[in-house]
This record gives sequence, C-alpha cells and structure tokens, in this order.
Amino acid sequence: MGKVLNFSLQDALFIGFCATLLVALKSMLRLKLGIAGHSMFLMTFFYLICYGVVGRAGSITACGLLSGLVAMMLSIGKGGPLILIKFGLPALAMDLSMLLFSGLMTLKLRCILVGLVGCFAWAAKSWVENLLVGMTIQVALVQFMLSMLKGGIFTILAALMVPSVLSRLKAHDLLFNEDAK
Amino acid sequence: MKTRRGRGVPHSTLERNAETGSKSIGWTAGALSLALILSSSAFFIPQDYLLALIVCDIVLVIHGVCRRGDFWILGRVFLVQLVITLTLYYLIHGQELLLQGALAVVRVLLAFIPGWWLSVSCKPEQIGEVLAWILPVKWAFVIAASLSLLPTMTTEIREIYQTQSLRGAKISPKALRDPRNWSELLHCVIFPLLIQLLKLSKQTAMAAQLRYFGKHKRRTHWR
Repeated sequence: MGKVLNFSLQDALFIGFCATLLVALKSMLRLKLGIAGHSMFLMTFFYLICYGVVGRAGSITACGLLSGLVAMMLSIGKGGPLILIKFGLPALAMDLSMLLFSGLMTLKLRCILVGLVGCFAWAAKSWVENLLVGMTIQVALVQFMLSMLKGGIFTILAALMVPSVLSRLKAHDLLFNEDAK
Repeated sequence: MKTRRGRGVPHSTLERNAETGSKSIGWTAGALSLALILSSSAFFIPQDYLLALIVCDIVLVIHGVCRRGDFWILGRVFLVQLVITLTLYYLIHGQELLLQGALAVVRVLLAFIPGWWLSVSCKPEQIGEVLAWILPVKWAFVIAASLSLLPTMTTEIREIYQTQSLRGAKISPKALRDPRNWSELLHCVIFPLLIQLLKLSKQTAMAAQLRYFGKHKRRTHWR
C-alpha cells in the first residue's frame, strides 16, 4: 500500500490541492444549490482529473483519503471521522475499476464506467449504513436506488467533462507526467 | 528574565505556551477517539444500550451549543431524513413499522452528533497535528500545505469567477441551478484554476526540495 501511494512531491501536492479544492467547492455548492447527490459530480470530476494528470494507480485513492481528512479538519460534512469512508470508499472503488478497465474502451466510456462504479460504492455505503441502523431491506433498497439514480446523473455529467479538460491540459502541455500524456 | 536567543520573548512564556499546546493536543486526540467510538457505536450498539448513547450525545450537544456550535445544521438533516424515511416506511410497510423507521433515523443522527461536536470543540490545526502522528511525513506536509494555501485558492477562484461573470458567463448561483450551465463553470472557472494548481504544486515542490525536504530521516517542525 505504501508503495502504491509513493508519489513524487509534486504529484502528491497536486493531489492534495485537488482534494482541498473538492472539499471547498462542495461546501460552497451545498450552501448555494442544496441539491442532493451533487457531491458525486465533484468527486468524479476531481478524482478522474487526478488520475488523468498524475497517471498512476493509487492517485484516486490518495485524493479520496486526503479529501476525507481535509473535510474532517475543516469540519465540512456531518460525519466526523466517518467522512473518511464517504470520500475514501468511492475513490478506492474507482481506482480498482480503473485498473480493471485500463485500455479497454475509449477514454469517455471508461470515465463514465469508472465514475458509475464509484457512484455504486457511494450508494452502497449508505445502503450498508441504513441496514446497520436497523432499516428494513426494502426501505434501504429504495433509498439505495434513489441515491444511485441521483448520484448517477451527476456522475455521468462530470465524467463527460473530464476528457475535454484533459485534452485541453494536454494541448497546453501541462501534463507533467509522461504516462499521463 | 531569560529570553530565547534574544528575540525578546520571555522563556517562561514560551514554556507555558508549549505546555498549554501539548495539553490541547492531548484533548484533541481524546476528542477524536471519543468521536470515532461514539459514531461507530451508533451503528453497532444493541437496542438496550441505546439510551446510554443518547445521554452521551445529549451531553456532547450541550457542550457543543455552549461553545457556540450551530446544532440546526444537524437538525435540518435529521428532519429531512426523517420525512423521507417515514414516507418510505408508510408506503412500503404501512403504519406498523413507523417506530422502527424513526429509531433508524435517530441512530443516523447519533452517528453524526460526535462529528459535529468534534468540529465545534477542537481547532482544525490541532486535528491536523494529531492526524500527523499516524500519517507519513510527506502526506502530513501535503495536507498542511493544501490547508495553508486554501485562502490563496479561494482568492484565485473568486477573482476568476468575478472576471468571467463580468464577461457574461452563465455561472451565477441562479444559473447554476440548471445543470446545463455546469460545463460553463468548468471551462470558465475550474479549467483556469487547474492550471494554477499545476503551477502551484510545481513551485511548492521545488521550494520544499530546495530546502532539503525529504533528505533527512529526522524531521524538524517550525513552531
């Protein structure tokens, strides 16, 4: 695990900045918009951008864990220490699926698929939580499907935007990692 | 009076500050552990002991409110969750299991209260210092750098946002209610910001490495 998360300082800082920005924007948008499920939009976008720029497995997980830590330290979100799982679990799922689907489809399709896997992990986490607090399976399942539907729409929207941003970064010669290019 | 290297700060004051600092770090570490235990308990504790957990959480709420915490943030989430869950219970199971639904939402609230209390009662930088005990040095540095550069990033976002708004981009809070305008926010605000972040990470990494960051095993901290 330590080897997977062993990034260069520049990559690590970029991941950290993305995580901080994700948390800051999430808090701002929640105040302004108040739409449920929008967090998947920001999570999918920044996680995929991190992977696109750094170009290494583990970058999404690192970004997710850092986002959780930063959110906990800035007191954003309601979960306290549990917020680590909220950010970390979709990131881990996305990282694993990125390994699974690497080189299989076009970048756009891969982004959508990986994003949806992250969304599934996000909704599944709520589902498990609901079961643990004693909700019946039917109610928990309906809530899971609602989360999946709302989060899924935002995920697809974000995933569709990532390839164009990456190609613009590449056009400006800003992707510092050769693998990412 | 003894001073430290002629800087004019009394030595006794520095010692007192260090002692107070280590005490509050200990308090933060305790609060973090307590929040973790209580949050997890909300999911796993048997029904018989739930009352004890409710009493603990009420104490935390009173302490948090005394420290000027806004409990309404949690209250609002609780009410929304209660309405959605009870509606689903009524539609699926009828009136019989409404109490079970309400109890489940109470457990969710009990899981959230310790996190809220932690954020009200502990300073963010102290939570960061406690987390640095378990984090690798590089990642602790990354978090510290990201948090200290957050005001810079916020200023940058504001400036880019205002400039693009003046140009007529549809990125006002009202326009952003329509998801079709989100791509405009992305291309007008987030894309320039990503360029800034790439530049900033390169400069910060270079500055740290020029100061021999990561060269020695034993770290020193500026206090």
